[in-house]
Amino acid sequence: MSAKNPSREQILERIRTGLRTPAALRGGPKSAVIFEPIRNPLERFQQECAANLMECTLTADTASSASQLAKILDSLPAGEVFLQDDPSLRRLIEVARTQRPLRWSGEGAPREISEATVSLAEALIAQTGSILVTAECGGRGASIVAPCHIVYAHTSQLVPDLETALGNLFRSGKLARNSFACVISGSSRTADIEKILVQGAHGPRRLAVILETRA
Amino acid sequence: MRETAAQQFLRDAAVKSADLVHREIIRNGIASYDAAHLRGRARFRDWEAAREKCREIKQEAINHLDKYLLQFEEKVLARGGHVFWAATAEEACKYVTGVAQRLGVRTVVKSKSMVTEEIHLSPALEKIGIKAWETDLGEFIVQLRNEPPYHIVTPAMHLNRAQIADLFHEKLGERIPGNDPTKLVALARRKLRESFFSAEMGISGANFLIADSGVIAISTNEGNGRLCTSVPRIHVVVTGIEKVLPRLEDLALFWPVLATSGTGQPITTYSTLIGGPRQAGEADGPDEFHVVLVDNGRSRLLADAEQREVLHCIRCGACLNTCPVYRNVGGHTYGTTYQGPIGSVLTPHLAGLKQYQHLSYASSLCGACTSVCPVKIDLHHHLLHNRRNAVSRGGSKSGERIMFRLWRSSMLHPRIFVLMGALGRSLLRTLYGMGLAGSIVDPMRAWNRYRAPVPLPTESFRSRWRKGLVG
Repeated sequence: MSAKNPSREQILERIRTGLRTPAALRGGPKSAVIFEPIRNPLERFQQECAANLMECTLTADTASSASQLAKILDSLPAGEVFLQDDPSLRRLIEVARTQRPLRWSGEGAPREISEATVSLAEALIAQTGSILVTAECGGRGASIVAPCHIVYAHTSQLVPDLETALGNLFRSGKLARNSFACVISGSSRTADIEKILVQGAHGPRRLAVILETRA
Repeated sequence: MRETAAQQFLRDAAVKSADLVHREIIRNGIASYDAAHLRGRARFRDWEAAREKCREIKQEAINHLDKYLLQFEEKVLARGGHVFWAATAEEACKYVTGVAQRLGVRTVVKSKSMVTEEIHLSPALEKIGIKAWETDLGEFIVQLRNEPPYHIVTPAMHLNRAQIADLFHEKLGERIPGNDPTKLVALARRKLRESFFSAEMGISGANFLIADSGVIAISTNEGNGRLCTSVPRIHVVVTGIEKVLPRLEDLALFWPVLATSGTGQPITTYSTLIGGPRQAGEADGPDEFHVVLVDNGRSRLLADAEQREVLHCIRCGACLNTCPVYRNVGGHTYGTTYQGPIGSVLTPHLAGLKQYQHLSYASSLCGACTSVCPVKIDLHHHLLHNRRNAVSRGGSKSGERIMFRLWRSSMLHPRIFVLMGALGRSLLRTLYGMGLAGSIVDPMRAWNRYRAPVPLPTESFRSRWRKGLVG
């Protein structure tokens, strides 16, 4: 590799030489609590979802989750739906009884014409009202290509904060197995024109979480 | 004779600070940022503790930069990615254009990356016939105007919706009635979608490189960064060697801090981690993944122990937004990739002290930049360090040196001091009396040109002291 990239050793050497002169270390006040502890993760998650302009519907069981999914799909223009190929989503879509053409992640990436994508999540983060997905959740495109992204999750997946979510992602080896992970906190948006918020810049205009109660 | 960077700065600063439309756009934009930034900071229980922790983490990362870069590289290689170390901008461009040519790339989609601006990657790609589309809305707008980004976070903040609507009409051939921002965004989305799905290569930057996980972290709101890194068959990351964080869990602090300082958000919409090409069993993703680690002067800055901490910068743009100079002269006046206080500190290291030393004087040394920096870089003192370094390397003008010598000797000799004071007062009084205040012969022209002349005292401080009028 170094034959093709002679600068590699050169840069490393320059870094090592540079660091031989130590910088004056500055120390400040230590170990203060940076974020407010999260007492009620579900309540906080719902609040943050609202602030992030996400839809979060709490459901009691699979049947009501399926009917919520059907309701969302009914509100969308006609077109294909892309789904993460997972038994729980196969069950859900069966109960939801949609007539739309379906494409499963096993068949490849979602097509540009998809009207909606449906995926699971690795975790839900209360602190920021975020969903954590990896490539296993239907791939990279499953959360970005279509105008509407629907996430089917359980309350048992709630974690209080980013630190817990990232710690679990690292320690479980999940990140090492996946080429991609993303903490998603709302629909795609921009404020590049006069700082005015517009939803649906390049990705989904709508992000809906169907949150099933499960201990 | 070709205009120097310093002359260009003064010329553009004079034009921009007198442009009332520009001033209003910037005032409105920054007022809305200020409010969001304050609200964002209030979400932290202890914002100062967050800054201190960020500073400590970046200090650790930079002080062990070689170790963390190697750790990052090892993990990326293990997932089947490629890592290229580029000593210079030319080397980085050559590598990327080489990959593009080898793999038959015709179109590139780019998500926002200041390092690609720094190394002038798009012109290098265009030179070999490859079209590179900027896909961040602000970047797309400035690309259509053939301008560099105005701001490192909000590249088109100097334009209002009417100007953007006119631009889209001229360049994209569609008129948006009422200049509605929602419809302007929809038009850009439609146009750029074609590029996302036809491009063979996506180029992104990286906000952070995570050593223990071997992933890059990208923060975006629009989702263009997601599409650039998901749809095309090749993904190239171009980033600076200083972007390293030791641990994945450090992002639990850096993501909220970057978003708060950048836009006032609690976290950006998409906080993405990418560590390689599509793995076996994954539904999609690029077949090739390349990370280009750019030095381009950074290791030189690292060797300067006094200013090493400038490499802690996470490019949030907070120091630009708060700087009274930036707020008045605007981003383009700097004539550099990185503007505002951080740009004035960094550019002389990356592009040459001699050519860019004037930027260290584009500051009132008020310290507002230092007070908002989320990684606590002592920005205004680094501007002073740059001034000192420039002078000690003979960067001052001979006229300036003579004036300082005169001032020094008059300060050391009370009689000369009195004489100079009296001469100065009477000269100015005569000039002002002739109505020449602010004219080319007025030594106080820099001040008096745009302002009422400073009233002249009738007598010196010493004589007032003697009469007991002071104290």
